[in-house]
Amino acid sequence: MNIEKLLNTIIEAGTMLVESGAEVNRVEETMVRMCRCFEGIEYADSYVTLTGIMFSLTYENKTITRICRVHTGEVDLNRIDQINTLSRSICTNPISVDELANELEKIKKMSRYTFKETMLFGAVGAAGFGIFFNGTLLEIVMSFFIGILIRCMSCFLSKHKLNSFLNNAISAGSAALSAQLIHLVLPQTNVDIMVISSFMLLVPGLAITNAIRDTIAGDYVSGVARAADAFLCAVAIAVGAGFVMYFWI
Amino acid sequence: MVYVILKSGISSFLASLGFGFLFNIKGRNLWIAGVVGAIGGACYKVSLYLGCSEILSNFYGALGLALASEILARQCKTPVTTFLVCALIPLVPGGGMYRTMLAAIRGDAQQTLNMGLQTLSIAGVLALGILLISTVMRVYYQEKRKYLSKK
Repeated sequence: MNIEKLLNTIIEAGTMLVESGAEVNRVEETMVRMCRCFEGIEYADSYVTLTGIMFSLTYENKTITRICRVHTGEVDLNRIDQINTLSRSICTNPISVDELANELEKIKKMSRYTFKETMLFGAVGAAGFGIFFNGTLLEIVMSFFIGILIRCMSCFLSKHKLNSFLNNAISAGSAALSAQLIHLVLPQTNVDIMVISSFMLLVPGLAITNAIRDTIAGDYVSGVARAADAFLCAVAIAVGAGFVMYFWI
Repeated sequence: MVYVILKSGISSFLASLGFGFLFNIKGRNLWIAGVVGAIGGACYKVSLYLGCSEILSNFYGALGLALASEILARQCKTPVTTFLVCALIPLVPGGGMYRTMLAAIRGDAQQTLNMGLQTLSIAGVLALGILLISTVMRVYYQEKRKYLSKK
């Protein structure tokens, strides 16, 4: 068995999981479980944080280790689900290392929703928040359009490799600005409802959930890092919107 | 009451569905994520309607959605986060954050602290609800497995 290839493939799977936003506990467990499915592996252990992976395994009394730096990627829950299913299935019916690498490559190539689809449904989500916060029909429709604007804005900014703090701040600022402009044209609309319901699109939901789940599982390093991420994101939104609102008050 | 349930259910369904698309959930799981979100939103709004405080209602909402996502995730054999992430978002105190920010801009320190504390405690309560359910469910399924293997 090609032990280096196995190590690299397992690390690849772990990297994909962390990038897509899986909990640290799940990544560690999946990597070790995948490894144990191969015959002859005497020992396998992993240490994963939000920014790096360390993995080592023992085969025929020889231990090899690799360290891998991970950069945060785009959230992709479908990929986590697929890798999870793959790791379950190889435990019941074992496959070779090459087949595993092929399967991972296939999962990596799976398509995402197109920009238009995410824009449309992001805006539908914003309209949903409009209903949730007891908005009138006009406000709901307006949140829909501000939602479209926010999605376009944040996609455009992230394409130009702007960091997430500025990205959130500018998107939130443009949302607040457009809500104020709409209020100028249609004075019967409520600015607060429009701003809050479109803001929700920027809320760091994954960071919050994972901060909680990582902390429960005892991975304090990642838990605190995620909580800091979520807090910074919230501050960015507040700063961006506050900057715009300041001129109106 | 029925109106409250329907309205909050449909609105949080739409919101969670939108986030399902943003987080790239595919197929059947997307719709289930929406339904779990609807359960959370409905729990929250109904407890508000029945006269619970804002914080307590958020706690009930978190309990409802965490329970639903733990059970459904085991049924569908998918990670719990798939449903939990999308469903939690309607309950995130975005409104509280916004009002804290507004008060801070107005220079009203008292109000800023008030709103900020309220927002932080809502976030804490959401975390508590999820934590409680996930621990209880883990123990429950462990005991169940032990019981079944003994048989």
